[in-house]
Amino acid sequence: MARKIVVTGRGGSGKSTFVALMSRFLSSPSLLIDLDPDLSLADMLGIDLEREKKKTVIEVLYDVVDERKKGMDPLIPVEEKFKGLVWTEALYEGKGFDLIVLGTKDMEGCYCFPDHLMRKTISELVKTYKNVVVDSPAGLEHLNRNIVSEIDDLIVVIDPSEKSLSHISRVKGIAKEVGIRYVNFHVIGNYMFKDSDEEFFKKEKVPYIGKIDYDSNVEELNLKGKPLKLLPEDSPALISTKEILKKARLI
Amino acid sequence: MAKINVVTGRGGAGKSTFTALFARFVDVKRLLLIDLDPDSSLPKMLGADLEKSGKVTISHALYDIIVSGKKDDSPALIEERLKDGSILYESEKFHLITLGTKLAPGCYCLPDEMIKDMIHKLRDNYDMVLVDSPAGLEHLNRKVTPDIDDLFVILDPSEKSVKHIERIKRVIKGVRISYKNFYLVANYRFTEESLNYLEEVGERLLGRIALDENVRNFNLNGRSLFSLPSDSPASLSVKKILLEANYDII
Repeated sequence: MARKIVVTGRGGSGKSTFVALMSRFLSSPSLLIDLDPDLSLADMLGIDLEREKKKTVIEVLYDVVDERKKGMDPLIPVEEKFKGLVWTEALYEGKGFDLIVLGTKDMEGCYCFPDHLMRKTISELVKTYKNVVVDSPAGLEHLNRNIVSEIDDLIVVIDPSEKSLSHISRVKGIAKEVGIRYVNFHVIGNYMFKDSDEEFFKKEKVPYIGKIDYDSNVEELNLKGKPLKLLPEDSPALISTKEILKKARLI
Repeated sequence: MAKINVVTGRGGAGKSTFTALFARFVDVKRLLLIDLDPDSSLPKMLGADLEKSGKVTISHALYDIIVSGKKDDSPALIEERLKDGSILYESEKFHLITLGTKLAPGCYCLPDEMIKDMIHKLRDNYDMVLVDSPAGLEHLNRKVTPDIDDLFVILDPSEKSVKHIERIKRVIKGVRISYKNFYLVANYRFTEESLNYLEEVGERLLGRIALDENVRNFNLNGRSLFSLPSDSPASLSVKKILLEANYDII
């Protein structure tokens, strides 16, 4: 059974950046999951899903719904049909790690059904990997949907603001109420952290385990939409990520 | 009938900071603010202490109703709570309704629906409704505000922002939200060089929110942006942006 790692946090804190950096160090086979409708993880990993002829989960779902409208056997539930397609059509298999992305929905209504399908898919997928890493959308709603209910490592990436403290207690509050269980809870600081910010959060009694160092290379690559795998081995962001992963006993 | 303005953008772009300064400097008599972000930070930035003034969020009010076992009457009960003053926060410059954090399982469709309904009902009492959105796109799929006057997209300097703009347009078109103006606002992390980048997008860029060490400190310490000096760089730049969008400022 895979170790289930969920990375979450307020918007813009650097969740996807952290997941992309982390992907370099995880033992294979690992699976990365992008749950953010405003997806960016694939770009950061340098994976062009379109060119790889892979679809997003939402696109697979749309296909199934379309087929049904065209007269697919009405006795096969959408969910079953989806399950049969998601592996071949949405799972990107790469060197070191595989990737699956939720994608953007342009029809009215919330992400409950796509997220429900993700929940089912993830529970199938965990059987075949060593690590499953979930990159969450910004905010809290994905937690209310309880997509991964048994988490090994819940990692919250925070920016240096008082809002991050409220965010952490909200994450815990929701997890408790909706029945998400986690073994480890970690808080990490993002690139905006100064030493004084680290002091601030240590005093607040949060399980703070380190910060991702500011790295002008990361900033430039993200600005130009280039993959983070172009980062040199000795870049500050990578070195600090490795330290964090060691502290969390993930490597 | 009030103009409906919406501030949206990727997470951490500075939506709430912009909304708070917008609220402070725009010259309108009757302003209703809506905080649609479950990971709420706007009230603090406005210096609005909901708890102290005995106000509850929509999610909180709904939770109480559901716990009391009267789920089926929730629309009526929420309206009652709106009327008895326990939801609407009132200050001299603005009124405020917050969505709040939901602790129960399931999505925000119901609380969002309640807010949609409230905006519709309260709209006539105000000159402007200003909505601070949660990060991301899902609130657009829910169509909380089907008819927008001015849509402000706050951007950070990354390729992801350009993709974000495309996705907003795709979702808006897909779910049929109408808008009069589509405005871009660059956040404090933009440089002159990265600003050029936005010109290729082809949408109207109103300006940039200036980098301001005061804002950083205020936000770190949870202080109200209503006490930010009015000549602080962020204040000045937001005023300029509002003028650019044809608003009167105080």
